[in-house]
Amino acid sequence: MSLPPERGGSPAASAAAGGPPAVDSGVYTVSAATSAHGGAASTFGSQPAVTVEGLGRRFGDLIAVDSLTFSVAQGEFFALLGPNGAGKTTTIHMLTTLLEPTSGRASVMGYDVAREPQRVRQVLGMVFQDPALDERLTARENLELHAVLYGIPPRERRQAIEQALVWASLVEAADRRVRTFSGGMKRRLELARALMHSPGVLFLDEPTLGLDPQGRRHLWERIDALRREGLTVLMTTHNLPEAEACDRVGIIDAGRLVEIGPPGELVAKHAGEGGDLEDVFIALTGKQLRDEEATARDLMVSFAKRGGEHTR
Amino acid sequence: MTAPAVTGRRYAKAPPSWAGIAPSVVWVMWRREMLRYSRDRSQLFGGLSRTVLWLVILGFGLGAALREIEGYSYAQYILPGVIVLNVLFAALQCAISLVWDRQVGIMREVFVSPSPMLSVALGKLLGGATVSVIQGSIPLLFTPLIGVRLTVWSVLGAWAVMFFLGLFMTALGVIIAARLKTFEGFGSISNGLIQPLYFLSGSIFPLRGVIGGVGFLEIPQHLREELRRLGIFAIGGGWVVQLPGWIQALVYVNPVSYQLDLLRYVLLRFQQLPMAANIAVTFGAAPLAVVFAAWAMRRMASADR
Repeated sequence: MSLPPERGGSPAASAAAGGPPAVDSGVYTVSAATSAHGGAASTFGSQPAVTVEGLGRRFGDLIAVDSLTFSVAQGEFFALLGPNGAGKTTTIHMLTTLLEPTSGRASVMGYDVAREPQRVRQVLGMVFQDPALDERLTARENLELHAVLYGIPPRERRQAIEQALVWASLVEAADRRVRTFSGGMKRRLELARALMHSPGVLFLDEPTLGLDPQGRRHLWERIDALRREGLTVLMTTHNLPEAEACDRVGIIDAGRLVEIGPPGELVAKHAGEGGDLEDVFIALTGKQLRDEEATARDLMVSFAKRGGEHTR
Repeated sequence: MTAPAVTGRRYAKAPPSWAGIAPSVVWVMWRREMLRYSRDRSQLFGGLSRTVLWLVILGFGLGAALREIEGYSYAQYILPGVIVLNVLFAALQCAISLVWDRQVGIMREVFVSPSPMLSVALGKLLGGATVSVIQGSIPLLFTPLIGVRLTVWSVLGAWAVMFFLGLFMTALGVIIAARLKTFEGFGSISNGLIQPLYFLSGSIFPLRGVIGGVGFLEIPQHLREELRRLGIFAIGGGWVVQLPGWIQALVYVNPVSYQLDLLRYVLLRFQQLPMAANIAVTFGAAPLAVVFAAWAMRRMASADR
């Protein structure tokens, strides 16, 4: 294991925040630079980075997402919250052109996801819920693949790859195969990779899921540094402290948006004095357990953990 | 250390392409397949052990009883079949890994990229075909043992057939893989696809032919060739066998039969099916399957859940 000892991500970013990264209390607090925005969408860039209007997706009889409407301003840090099966991942997949909407429309940086998928793909960066890396390749080879897929010109590729490796603190592990990496290292690699082509919007699907507290904090510091540079981030999460650190959160349940706003306002409105986002979450989505059937992907992951076969 | 990744260049461009073919993407996907192959020794080992089992053990074992098929020793007769078997395994293993890559591997990363799917598919298929040629060449190393003499032309010809067979089978595998949601073992592919295609291709028994014969192999080469020119493929004790009609029908509808027959002609100058059909199937089926495979991968990319 070679998690680098240095903390705090980039010194420049820490300085901008006026001190050490604000993650010391164990709660992910809103950093000074962004809290000034107060989460009001209108104070960000002119054109929204993401616009969603009546977006819906059904799979046969199952309605996974039922008429979602919201927008994310440029430079905003937005989290989608919701219980299992609420439609978070389906929404992200529609916004990233992996899945066609069955109703409504959505656009990313002004490009329609259904009509201009090629454009949308060029302006977005994506980190999936579980690693989308080739485990038989090295970190460097994975980044090379990305550089080619995103049309980074040959003469810029080397530099882009080196920058990404430095950013992910994986310079020493660059030529090791990814299958030997810890969960945290894989995530850092994926995050650095998603930034290689300078996306306009970064989509993160449960970015810290399955990481230990150290890995989670390290990754969060990286994400926090990005927001201070003004990158638009749309993430889904189960981790409520992380969501509390966002500019705005949207809570969805059963494919519908039940509440949207800055975390502080939501707490004041639904949980009252001394409450937190978890109280809001439970108040809005109920206490009922959400058991999901294992998806094909879950089956494959458990198969992989049992040792897999042939295909790796 | 700064965090330079966000600044600088604005957004990605689609890789340079013409009519959906981006050479850089084809190359990088092909290279990925090659790197994966070079790091999976079990595949090379599988190819070796298959060759020893079929060509050496079955070849000499059953060959002791069968003696000859149309003047060829049994091991010589099944050489092209063993090559085909290795190609089938290599191609389908490469194709089926797509199911894995899509659920828990790199394919989702590829699907959200601005790269044209046709190029991604081409890189993958060409990669599968290249691995097929390498794996299919393993039995060629055993030819001195079974008395088949190779020439530059027969090797080049065999590689060409292996390449097109590998391309065809990888494409067929991709079409199947695109429909599979989950995948927990190669066994079903092996039993359900590879073995039927292999057994019903005339690989280990001839469609029709003179089997048996005495001492043909001990006859000097020039005399043997002269006898063959006269239409004599065995002397003494041979008998003509013909497969039952229903097996014959299955062999005729199996495309691999034609590819195998061409390979057998290239290596042994022996064929059982019309040459025109062999050439048409070998070089025609592959491009056709590639088109369908690229289409299947495109559909898979947009229907991911």
